[in-house]
Amino acid sequence: MKTLVKATLIVAAATAMASPALSDPLEDAITARRGYYQVILSNFGPIVGMAKGAVEYDAEKAATFANTLQTLSMLNNGHMWPAGSDNAAMDGKPRALPKIWEDFPGVQEKGQAWAAAVGELASVAGDGLDALRSKVGAVGESCGACHDTYRAKSF
Amino acid sequence: MSEEGVTPTELRRVWDLPTRLFHWSLATCVAVGWYLGEYRGFDTIELHFFFGYAIGGLVAFRILWGFVGAPASRLSALLVSPATLLNYLREIGKPRPSYWAGHAPLGSLSVLALLALLAVQATTGLFIEDDALFAGGPLSGSVDAKTQGTLAQIHFIGSRLILAMVALHLLAIAFYSIWKEEDLIGPMISGWKKVRTDHKAASNEATSTDAAD
Repeated sequence: MKTLVKATLIVAAATAMASPALSDPLEDAITARRGYYQVILSNFGPIVGMAKGAVEYDAEKAATFANTLQTLSMLNNGHMWPAGSDNAAMDGKPRALPKIWEDFPGVQEKGQAWAAAVGELASVAGDGLDALRSKVGAVGESCGACHDTYRAKSF
Repeated sequence: MSEEGVTPTELRRVWDLPTRLFHWSLATCVAVGWYLGEYRGFDTIELHFFFGYAIGGLVAFRILWGFVGAPASRLSALLVSPATLLNYLREIGKPRPSYWAGHAPLGSLSVLALLALLAVQATTGLFIEDDALFAGGPLSGSVDAKTQGTLAQIHFIGSRLILAMVALHLLAIAFYSIWKEEDLIGPMISGWKKVRTDHKAASNEATSTDAAD
């Protein structure tokens, strides 16, 4: 009897430790990657605003945003994409298509194309509005390449 | 039916000028609009929008013209009865011209389907956006994200259906030209088409609306 109580306590403690915040790892991963893209948006948005003439061009700000984008492009975000966090497995909650996990080389290729476009943008963002404009489109288009292929249009 | 080959025909101005201008404008706008949407870019996405507005306007014009245009362009001529359609389908495989005084019955349904698809396409486009290109239709801010996603999905499926309808349209023209030896392109340019004299569907009103073109 004593051993049974002990064993039960150990199991209970282990379970409690395994789920410290009582959260779902898949949900956490989705929250994390959405946050990641939100940060990307908060840096790329103002650059697009400058390119489209909605915001006045500011060389220093443009360079800072673009450099931050470049830093973001270097982060390893693989852990934000656990298997099972696609829209089929989670009933449409995320928009990530299962195709991401079936075609990883394709995802990687598009990710690298985006990082390359961001790198080019970062190298000229502070050199004037025309220089900035010449590289903004490629970044947006490389974002879209992934959205079109690996993201559902609706929830 | 039984008097094959001896059906009396005459040359008639079937397509009025507005209908022809509409047709070729629409064909151009759909082709360019599709290309700009399929291969959309940061600098050209706004052009896609403008072609969408143009298509919306053309469809609206065509519906209006369906009430006041020449007989063959009337919407009433497009609403074919199942009996007419069946009779036509029975004859469609025969390797001879239809000499139809306007849209053939199956073509009429195709016109209606294409106009409906384009209307949906132009309308859904107003409400959606491309978040990678930071561009959206003029009403994209007026719907919530979920609705917008659904409309984007409809816009995408619509583009596929329109492509399929265009392919079907071209195949039908080729089928008519090669198998049935009837040229449908020439009449859409000149307006003049060789038609059966016993086709009263259009000729009833022909005299009263000749002035339209």
